[in-house]
Amino acid sequence: MSHGDGGPTRRDVVKVAGATGLAGLAGCLGGDSSGDDNEQTDTEMSDGTNDGSNDQQSEDYPPLGNFPVQGSKVILGFNVPQSGPYASEGKDELRGYEMAVKHLNNGGGWVDDWDDLSGDGVLGKQVDYVTGDTATDADQAQKSARRMIQRDNALMVSGGSSSAVAIAVQELCQREKVTFMCCLTHSNDTTGKNCVRYSFREMFNAYMTGQALAPVVTEEYGDDLDFYQLYADYSWGKTQQASMKKFFEEAGWSQVDSVATPLGTKDYQSYLSEAANSGADALFLNHYGLDGANSLKGAIDAGMDQDMEIVMPLYNRPMAQAAGGAIEGIYGTVAWDAQIDNGPSNKFSSTFGSEYNGRTPSGPAQLAYAQTLQYAAAAERAGTFYPPEVIKQLEDYSYSSLGMGEETMRKCDHQAQRAVPVVKGLPESEQDSGTFYEIVNLTSRDDLGYGCSEGPAAECKLGSYE
Amino acid sequence: MSLVAEVTRVLVNGLQQGAIYVLVAIGLSIILGTLKFVNFAHGALYLIGTYAGMLITLNVQLTGGKLMDWGYTELGLGWGFLPALILVPILVFGVGIVMERFVARPFYDRPDTDQILLTFGLAIVIQEAFKILFGGQSYNFARPAWASGPVAVPIIGSFPQWRLYVLGITTALVIGVYLLIEYTDFGLVVRAGTRDAEMVQLLGIKITRPYLMVFGVGAALAGVAGVVGGPLYAVNPNIGTEILVPAFLVVVIGGVGSITGAVLGGILIGEVLAILVAVAPQWSQVGIYVLAAIVLLTRPQGLLGDEEVVP
Repeated sequence: MSHGDGGPTRRDVVKVAGATGLAGLAGCLGGDSSGDDNEQTDTEMSDGTNDGSNDQQSEDYPPLGNFPVQGSKVILGFNVPQSGPYASEGKDELRGYEMAVKHLNNGGGWVDDWDDLSGDGVLGKQVDYVTGDTATDADQAQKSARRMIQRDNALMVSGGSSSAVAIAVQELCQREKVTFMCCLTHSNDTTGKNCVRYSFREMFNAYMTGQALAPVVTEEYGDDLDFYQLYADYSWGKTQQASMKKFFEEAGWSQVDSVATPLGTKDYQSYLSEAANSGADALFLNHYGLDGANSLKGAIDAGMDQDMEIVMPLYNRPMAQAAGGAIEGIYGTVAWDAQIDNGPSNKFSSTFGSEYNGRTPSGPAQLAYAQTLQYAAAAERAGTFYPPEVIKQLEDYSYSSLGMGEETMRKCDHQAQRAVPVVKGLPESEQDSGTFYEIVNLTSRDDLGYGCSEGPAAECKLGSYE
Repeated sequence: MSLVAEVTRVLVNGLQQGAIYVLVAIGLSIILGTLKFVNFAHGALYLIGTYAGMLITLNVQLTGGKLMDWGYTELGLGWGFLPALILVPILVFGVGIVMERFVARPFYDRPDTDQILLTFGLAIVIQEAFKILFGGQSYNFARPAWASGPVAVPIIGSFPQWRLYVLGITTALVIGVYLLIEYTDFGLVVRAGTRDAEMVQLLGIKITRPYLMVFGVGAALAGVAGVVGGPLYAVNPNIGTEILVPAFLVVVIGGVGSITGAVLGGILIGEVLAILVAVAPQWSQVGIYVLAAIVLLTRPQGLLGDEEVVP
């Protein structure tokens, strides 16, 4: 579907199309984005007014990536898992993205409270979007993102889940000079050794999960336990496993063994049986999404919670729902939760609820919504869509507008420095459609994080602006 | 834990893991063996069985999909597990009958590729329909209260109770189907049809009715597998396609049309998975395909499959 692999080729063609008024050709290149912006783009191109003359800032900045924006609409690309083990998360992300676009164009939600945003589009352009299915697969996600960038002219791409996906897509975005706003990615590598200038992450990482969980869990279960880890065999699982080992061993626990399980494993019984037989006092299930639901369900089925303390380091709502009563009393962390009681959180929950039939938003939905608005606000502050200027507006930006307290999007690794909610699963009888766990500690950002030359950030080299 | 206990534990794990594959594969195998019909929609019948089982058993709170948009926030009868175990096979038997009459029958004399395309397409349609109606999210099909939690088993210790029921139900059904095929007139016609359908017709037996029954029984078994296997994992519209590949592997390893072959194939796959998880976890997924490749190379008709009488 994409027209070759090279961005410059496409841009050259667009320029030629504009100069010669080849509207039909441009129409083909516009593709089938979810909006009907092609008509407008064609008109402006046939007038010979393309190549950025409709973007007031374009004379100051050279063409870069998909800048300048063609036509009256700016296209954003939302690349989420619509199939695969993280499909439930993807569905809710998409709801967050769609609501963000609606609010950016028409006002509402957080847009009304953010001074940088006006509610009538971004920089005078209406916001439109295209969607893709990552299928929770890095190759598929890259193809989908490439299509959004090269065919649909997406100026910003956002999405996840899966860190393997986020890392693959952010590398592509760096090459294509298109901003990537990470959604659900929790691997240390995303803003560690695989970090790029064009990508920003609001979500905390596995390292911070370790920092947040260790004090709470060791206080609850004691400080000299032996633990066994199962982890999903890809970027996220590996760094998650390493982080849990680091922080729990620092807190006095000892790792007995850790075993990788393939992503998408359905029946964990044999793995769990090995864990139960290891003599460990605690079991970490470093699985996420459907995998997490299945492994936790399996562990509870086997009665492992009677002999071992089970910890599910990274939780979310769809997986808690799929695991049902199995999550009772199990500690973990979540991206965000509707129970967090402050102005922005409450406003997001109520707006989301009225938009989607009373539905309670999940953490991934909040991340999707927040990241889209963050990008739009940065563009407004920059006064241009020129990517390096937008990036500079995001770097070291301090904010408290996402319901997670004071935050900073750190310049050295593009990792948000923020609080991390530690939660504990509720019994099935106390669960309802929106509430599956209670927040036991909103670990402040002052107790988390690491310096720019420490931890994952030490391995981060962001790359060029242009 | 002693070595004996350790080995027993791994073997029992393999057995229970293979049980669901056996249940799905038997239906697939008898349809493929008797009707020579490649049914890629067999996983979709498992899907229907699981959702139907869940809705009969529980009151499910919907959190997405068209049904929720239409105002159904809760769905399900909440009748408990046993009614589901009786009603679902009847329901899916009916679905199987309709499928045989309107989908399979016109394609019996067509090439395998046509049958695969047709049934694979049908499977996707059914999967997408479920996705639209119930949303893509996963639901928790809770185990029956009388079978939840672990139970102490001699030698190996604590074991998930529901998985013992899965083993028991599978064993009972396998024996039932075996008796049906081996010791009844219906079974005789089915077995004869497996060998040489043309000869059976020449002998004056109207083979369409047994064919209809075989398809129905095969479908019902997939339905039961859905009810029994549902509580083991999270339920979502993809479970049908996920179970299809291992089920086909079981048929390939065991031999098309052979019930004992399906049992052997299922157990072998379960054991290979369990043993590899114990000794070399990273090879566990590869192991079952290596097993299938070895069987295909050394005994193309499967371990207990008959060589084709009619080319």
